[in-house]
Amino acid sequence: MTNETLGGTGVTPCKGVGTVVWYRPDSALPSKDDFEKVASTNRPMERDRFETARERAHIELEAERDRAAKRVGEMEAAVFDAHMQFLDDPQIDEGVSAAIDEGFPAESAVQHAFEDPIADFEEMDGRMAERADDLRDVRDRLVRLLTGSERVNLATLPRGSVVLAERLTPSDTAQLDTDRIAGFATVTGGRTSHAAIVARSLSLPAVVGVGATLETIEDGTNVIIDGEMDEVCVDPSEDRIAAIETETDVSVIHDRVATADGTEIEVAANVGSPAELKGAVGQGADGVGLFRTEFLFLDRENPPTEQEQYTTYVDALERFPDSRVVVRTLDIGGDKRIPYLDLPAEENPFLGERGIRRSLGPDSDLFETQLRALLRAAANADGGTLSVMFPLVSTVDELDAALNRIDAVAESLDAADTDYALPELGVMIETPGAVFRAEQFAARVDFLSIGTNDLAQYVMAADRENEQVAHLHDPLHPPVLQAIDRSVDAAHDNDAWIGMCGEMAGNPELSELLVGLGFDELSMSAVTLPKVKTNIATTDQMRARDIAAQALTAETRSDVESIIEDQ
Amino acid sequence: MTERIVEIVPDAGLHARPASKFVETVNEHDATVKLGRADSDDLVPAGSMISITSLGAKCGEEVRLVAEGDDAESTLDALEQVLTTPEGERNDS
Repeated sequence: MTNETLGGTGVTPCKGVGTVVWYRPDSALPSKDDFEKVASTNRPMERDRFETARERAHIELEAERDRAAKRVGEMEAAVFDAHMQFLDDPQIDEGVSAAIDEGFPAESAVQHAFEDPIADFEEMDGRMAERADDLRDVRDRLVRLLTGSERVNLATLPRGSVVLAERLTPSDTAQLDTDRIAGFATVTGGRTSHAAIVARSLSLPAVVGVGATLETIEDGTNVIIDGEMDEVCVDPSEDRIAAIETETDVSVIHDRVATADGTEIEVAANVGSPAELKGAVGQGADGVGLFRTEFLFLDRENPPTEQEQYTTYVDALERFPDSRVVVRTLDIGGDKRIPYLDLPAEENPFLGERGIRRSLGPDSDLFETQLRALLRAAANADGGTLSVMFPLVSTVDELDAALNRIDAVAESLDAADTDYALPELGVMIETPGAVFRAEQFAARVDFLSIGTNDLAQYVMAADRENEQVAHLHDPLHPPVLQAIDRSVDAAHDNDAWIGMCGEMAGNPELSELLVGLGFDELSMSAVTLPKVKTNIATTDQMRARDIAAQALTAETRSDVESIIEDQ
Repeated sequence: MTERIVEIVPDAGLHARPASKFVETVNEHDATVKLGRADSDDLVPAGSMISITSLGAKCGEEVRLVAEGDDAESTLDALEQVLTTPEGERNDS
């Protein structure tokens, strides 16, 4: 079946080539009919065995939860909380007890107890079917613990493996080692499945929901997992493999990139969790242009300690030994749930107390702790350069207050004889206010970074999540382009460098325009990074400037679009 | 016995993390709580993850909470809080 393609749902816009390894975790487990009924005298013992297995399952889940939180982030780790709830569900409890009373040993009692709920969820629509997967995951864990079967280990597959599976459970994806696995495809699953979410956060090529035809591919076959074209290509021709390997040419993407005429542009990654750092390295990021620190603060009962933050920042810096890591200080506001913060319910949370406004006000303790951790990390990490930037600054007073806070923290570290270093400092340009003060900001700090999603939202007064005004929320509208251009000039006139860390930076079609506007750095989701680098490498600076100049004189968004398309 | 109608706010509906948080909250309290769709008389035990996720209640739908016990009122307060707190973080740059 050379070059045959099987369609599915691509979940990451990237491609991987490798050799098929089928993952069939269920085959190792005995079925519920493999056991003989037990005598009534043994039933208390079976109940004890079940209780012990449940306790051990809890311990395993806690550990996997912690591991997932560190690798992928709290949002994804939460699925293990749901598993713990299923484990303790009264319905399961009753089912197991009833089956043991009938004489089934604990292993088959567990399988009996899960049978009906799994079948019920399977009959419901897409999203609910995923709950059936969660239940299977919990059931198989209990059966494995009861029978003492070994767990199939996804973490020790040969390098260059492409994993094919009926489905991948959260426990399976927690084991995926992106150094070894070139991608995966599953028979079932959709864009919102857990496996899909994990694949995206790790920048791992993946296609889900291929259907039963996936099972016709045998172990050892070469395949291309093409998340961009939504397909799995079976036994691809040499040419096709070569084409993909050139497209994701490691030598191109892992070097710093310069335009055809030699102007270096730093292409960095936006990162929102430690797991994404690894993905960013793999995609050839020159550094981190936006390290969101919210993951450290969300979904927990108490704020992270200074030491916990310090370790996280040091780890991030050490992943990029020769580069810059731009850490954004805490950016939270009214729409996020944080149990230990008294976040007000606001009429317009995105025009309310968020970003630096909270850091200088109600969250000043959190801000200070974060700054202490950052200054210490800057001195002690055996690696890259730390830069710190402040979100949602709109006045010079706010910036001065934030800078004073840094000085105060440095003084207190000095007084305590603690090692620290002053990092490079920057401001995000996200509001019209910031655009009009960009000169004053740039005179005070080392760099500016444009967050285009918020900048477009505030310049155009168009909620970025409201589809009715999506046509307005677009950085190609002339007012947004003018704001960007003004900020770039302000930075360069004041000897500061300027980057962009919004979605606009990751759109490969706009690379030429952004080079022409004069950016020193572009930062984006890791998955789009190789394409942007490839485009920059073929960009001619003079021509790019010409495009930018034309775009800046355009009157409408569609004029800007035609200028870009005509090139 | 006390009851309350609540509209579900989290995007995920009564699934994944909100569901997990909901069951956890039920189990932290002493009251016996049942839950159903606002337009139906069928109620399921709120301490069962399987039962409450089976309802398939989505964002924007209304559910009926019925609680019994000394702690009923404060249990419902806590549960309402879970069901009306939006979650998720926007990609904010």
